Amino acid sequence: MPPTSIGDMTETAVRAGAAVALSGLRKRFGEVRAVDGIDLVISPGEVVALLGPNGAGKSTTVDMLLGLSTPDGGTISVFGKAPREAVVAGQISAMLQSGALLDDATVAEAVGLIAALHRKPMPVAQALQQAGIADLANRKCTKLSGGQKQRVRFALALVCEPDLLVLDEPTVAMDVETRRAFWNQMRAYTDTGRTVLFATHYLEEAEEYADRVVLMRSGRIVADGSVAQVRAAVSGRTLRAVVPGAHDLELPGARSAERRGDRITFTCTDSDATVRALLQRYPHAHDIEITALGLEDAFLALTGEDN
Amino acid sequence: MNARFLGLELRRAVRNGRYLIFTVIVPSVMFVLFVNLYGKGTFPNGLPTTTSLMMNMALFGLMAGPLSIGARIAVERGLGWQKQLRLTPLTGTGYLATKGALSMLVALPGILLISIIGAVEGVRMDALHWLGVVGTLWVGAIPFVLLGIVIGLVASPDGMQAITGLASMLLGLLGGIWIPAEVAPDWLATLMKVLPTYWIKELTQAPFVSGVDVKQALLVIALWVAGLSVIAARRYRAQS
Repeated sequence: MPPTSIGDMTETAVRAGAAVALSGLRKRFGEVRAVDGIDLVISPGEVVALLGPNGAGKSTTVDMLLGLSTPDGGTISVFGKAPREAVVAGQISAMLQSGALLDDATVAEAVGLIAALHRKPMPVAQALQQAGIADLANRKCTKLSGGQKQRVRFALALVCEPDLLVLDEPTVAMDVETRRAFWNQMRAYTDTGRTVLFATHYLEEAEEYADRVVLMRSGRIVADGSVAQVRAAVSGRTLRAVVPGAHDLELPGARSAERRGDRITFTCTDSDATVRALLQRYPHAHDIEITALGLEDAFLALTGEDN
Repeated sequence: MNARFLGLELRRAVRNGRYLIFTVIVPSVMFVLFVNLYGKGTFPNGLPTTTSLMMNMALFGLMAGPLSIGARIAVERGLGWQKQLRLTPLTGTGYLATKGALSMLVALPGILLISIIGAVEGVRMDALHWLGVVGTLWVGAIPFVLLGIVIGLVASPDGMQAITGLASMLLGLLGGIWIPAEVAPDWLATLMKVLPTYWIKELTQAPFVSGVDVKQALLVIALWVAGLSVIAARRYRAQS
């Protein structure tokens, strides 16, 4: 698609009231193209997972969206405004990946400081309540567990009542239990119609909590759609079987085969054809198992490096 | 500037025990000790010992508060708190201005306490002169406020403690707080006259002793203020 029409598309999206409209976004650090031409439109109310391995460009994209760094090329619009304007208006807010807590302040003081700077903040007590840390108000920020700290960062992010909340790897320091509790809290928040964009490399989080998954790899978007759509983008199934003495593994319908002892795993485009050919050639093949690709396989297939 | 934010920052700064001890209590304690040591006489320049020592110790206290506030900038940078602040309407200039105002505010209680103790210890001057002394000392905090900000922007969170310690020692020792310029060897006296500390003291005592070069005092202090402002602005721009 020529660049002008992408621009037109974004312009239309902005007019239509998109929460986020990125067009031809680029950022390089020296020789590395961290973000290499991203087009993305997010509608109000969507919960979008930005999924990708480390170094895919997720954090760089998030930083530009928040106005923390300037793109080398392309445009960003947040509710029709430049990122910094949207920050000043309190429309976009973010839960940062690490740090960001004062060592000499209590939880309520830290949230109070940020609230004091915003134009229309919610009461501090309400922010603490919504983040599930009302009981920690007078605790020193240094005396918190990893999960508690993350909830304080959540409170810092939502005290300005943003329309768009950006979370950069929100559950990275949490155990399974805390992570579940955190997402329950988040779900209560998104149910009120807020737009959320979260970067993660936990597939199950994207699968469970996002309406939409945007897969990034090497600074580009490689897939974008609902969880089901992304999974379908890598069509096909996996066929596993124990085939003693197999020598020729080139079978119709199979894209590749991997052998571990007698156990063979075929990645199939047409598993029906593969299973017929397999049984014809090796009638003694047993323990045959055919499974659909999970999001994880789709993720690996789409984000894995080319060899 | 955001008054509510400044107020919360002030509460945070004042609550810090170290601030209270080093910038408010210690200078006054030192003052009382020195007055007992020197006795209540007159220095060769004609200034009563109590008046002179009061000014010196107020100057000593003047440095500690602003330098420690500035150093907090380095810590907040290291903690990622500055990044969090960039997600609010606060601008970079607003942040530095708040820290500057905060430094000026924390410099004041030390001066006031030492002045009250000075009056109790027998320092006598008319109301206008009192106002002049306190005012000059307070305005004299500006170079230290800027120095604190520069250190906060340059130093690493780990290194800043050592740097502020060294800076306040050098500025005090070589600035004529502990050794009067009159008894220092020539080379040291020359060095002293490059530092703002020496000239703030000169300005403060100008109404009471003769021969103070007010013009040169203002020039040296202005150069420090201008130089430090330029460094702070450049450092800040490089970081954002």
